[in-house]
Amino acid sequence: MTSALKYEWTRLTTLRSTWWISGGSILVGVGFTFFVAMVIQLNTPTELVDDVNADYSRFILDGAMTQFSNIDPSFYLLAYVVAILGVLTWGHEYRHGMIRATLTAVPNRTAVWSAKMVVVGAWVGVVVVVSCVLSLLVTLVWFSGLSFEFDLGYLLLAVLKRVAFTVLLTWLAMATTVLIRHQTFSLVMLYLWPLGVETMIRLLMLAMSGVTGNKDLYDTTRFLPFNAGGRIMQNWQGDFQENLSTFGEPLNALGGLVVFGGFTLAVMGVSLAAFLKRDA
Amino acid sequence: MAVIEARGLNKTYKGKTAVANLSFDVHPGTVTGFLGPNGSGKSTTMRLMLALDNGGGTCTFDGRPFASYTQPMREVGALLEAKPFHPTRTARNHLRMLAAANGIPDGRVDEVLGIVGLADVAQKHPSTFSLGMGQRLGLAAALLGNPHTLILDEPANGLDPQGIRWMRDLLKALAAEGRSIFVSSHLLSEMALMADELVVIGRGRMIANGPVAEFTNRSRGNHVTVRTPQGHDLAALIGHRLAGQGSVQAVEPGVLQVVGLDAQAIGDLAFDNQIRIHELATQQASLEDAFLEMTGGAEEYQAQTPVAPWRQGPPPGGPQQGPPPGWMPPGGAPPPAPPYAGPPQGPPATGGWPDSRGGQP
Repeated sequence: MTSALKYEWTRLTTLRSTWWISGGSILVGVGFTFFVAMVIQLNTPTELVDDVNADYSRFILDGAMTQFSNIDPSFYLLAYVVAILGVLTWGHEYRHGMIRATLTAVPNRTAVWSAKMVVVGAWVGVVVVVSCVLSLLVTLVWFSGLSFEFDLGYLLLAVLKRVAFTVLLTWLAMATTVLIRHQTFSLVMLYLWPLGVETMIRLLMLAMSGVTGNKDLYDTTRFLPFNAGGRIMQNWQGDFQENLSTFGEPLNALGGLVVFGGFTLAVMGVSLAAFLKRDA
Repeated sequence: MAVIEARGLNKTYKGKTAVANLSFDVHPGTVTGFLGPNGSGKSTTMRLMLALDNGGGTCTFDGRPFASYTQPMREVGALLEAKPFHPTRTARNHLRMLAAANGIPDGRVDEVLGIVGLADVAQKHPSTFSLGMGQRLGLAAALLGNPHTLILDEPANGLDPQGIRWMRDLLKALAAEGRSIFVSSHLLSEMALMADELVVIGRGRMIANGPVAEFTNRSRGNHVTVRTPQGHDLAALIGHRLAGQGSVQAVEPGVLQVVGLDAQAIGDLAFDNQIRIHELATQQASLEDAFLEMTGGAEEYQAQTPVAPWRQGPPPGGPQQGPPPGWMPPGGAPPPAPPYAGPPQGPPATGGWPDSRGGQP
C-alpha cells in the first residue's frame, strides 16, 4: 500500500492539470465570496457596522466561508470543479494507456484503487479547507465593520460538511469513471446527473404528485443522491432549519450524509469489484 | 538470474480463443523472440504473463508470479504500449513516478534517461515525442529497476535504423549479463540477428518453440539446388534415397531442388552413379521464410491481393491442380506436401518442439 500511495502522490503532483484545477477551484470559491461580499458592502456601506447576534453570525460566516451553500447547495461550484480531478485520475489511466504502466509498477490492484481514492480524497479535502479559510478572510475584510460572534465549533463543522460532500462527490466521480472507463462521458455525467437527471426526476414526480394529489410521491425525491448530498450543506430555506429528523422531509445533514454517502460507497464497491475483475 | 516459466496460459474473449494453453520457458542469458502474425495473441500472452489480463494458466518469474512482487520493477521490466505515458507529464517525472513505487532513487531515473538517449529531453513533455522517442522512454521505464527479466512488446516500433541497431545491441548485451529477455517483433530480419530462441504462435496456439537455428533448419526453404544434364536419372536416385523423408523437384530442365539431403550426400550419390554435376548449391532458409511457412494459414487477418477483373478466372486450359510441374515423387508415388514436423523430443516448456502445429506433446 505504501508503494501505491507513493506512486499516486507522485502521479497527482507531477501533472499540471492538478495544480490548475486545484487553483481554479479555490479561485472560483474565494472569487465568488469576494464578489458577493464586495457587492453587499458597496451597496450597504452604512448598514454593516453593528454587532451581529450569534444566530446570524453563524449563518453569515457559514455562508460566506462556503459560497453560501448553506442557502443553496448548487452554489457550491468548488466541489464540482475540484471533482474533475477525480475523473481525470482514472480517466488518464484509460485514455492514455497508463493503466498497464501503473499495474506493472504496482501489481496489487486493491492497493492501486485504494491509494487513488485516499490520495485524491485527501487532496480535495485540503483544497476545500484552503478555500474555506481564504473565503473567511475575504469576508472578514469586506465586513470589517461588523462585529461577529465566532462559534468555532460550528464553523469547523461547516468546513467538515463541505469536505465530506466534496470528497464523496469526488469519490463518486472516480468510481463512475472506473466503471465506464471514458473520461469525457464521466465529465458529462458529473454535471448531467445532478443538474439534468435529478431535476427531470423531481419535475416528473412533482407533476405526478399534482395529478394524483399524493404529495408523498414528490417527497420521495429527497432520497435522490445529489438532492440528499446537498442536504449535508444546506441548513437554511427561508428560516434556520433546526430539529429536522434524519430521514424526514427534508433530510437533515446526517440523513443527507447517510443517503449520499451510502450511494457513493455502493458505487465505489461496484467499481472496485470491476477493477479487480477486468482486464487492464 | 530468473527463468520465466509460462504454463497453460489461455484466454478467451466472448467465446473466441485468443490464447490456447501456451507453455514455454525463457532462460537466463538468452533473448527469446516471440513471433506470430497480427492478432495471433502475442500481446495478450504478455499481458497474461504480467497479470494484466485475467485468464487461465500461470506464469512465474524465478518461481513467483508477477503480482506477488512488492517492487516488481526491480525484478521484471515491461514495455507493452507504444506510448504508455501522460502527454503533459515530463519524461523525467514519468520515470520518477514509477520509481517512487519501487523504491528506486531519482539518480537511477537520470541514469536510464542517459542510457536510452533521452537525457536532453528529460524535462520535455512526451506529447512532443516521436514514436521512436516514446519507445525509448518505454524502454527506460523497463530498465528503471535494473531487472533481471525484460518483457518487451514490439520495442523496435518506430525506431530508425540506428535505433534498431542500438536496441539489438542493448538487448544482446543485457542477455549476455545473464538476464532473461522476452521480446516480440515483426522485424524478422532483426529477430534473426538478435534472438537465441523463439516462441512462435498462430491463432493463440503454439507453433514452434526452440532455438532459432532449429526453427530455420526445419524449413522447406532449406534446399540444395543441383544443376545436371542427367536430371531425370539423378532425381530418381535421390527420390529413392529420400524414401519419403524429403522431396526432389525439377524446377526447370536440368535443375533439381532437393529437400532432405545435404550437398555432400547428393554429390557422393552422383559420383557413385557417374552422374555429371555442373552446380551444387546449398540454400539456407531465412527466418522470414521459415516463419511464413510455419504460420501459413494461421493469420487472423488475411489480406487479399487485388486482381484486375480481366485477369480473374481460370487460366487457359482450366485451373491448375496438384503438384507443380516437374514434381518428382520419390519412389514413384506422389507424396503429400511435406508438412512441418519437428522432432517431438522433450516437453516444449523446456525448449522442445511441439509434435504438430497447435498442439503439445
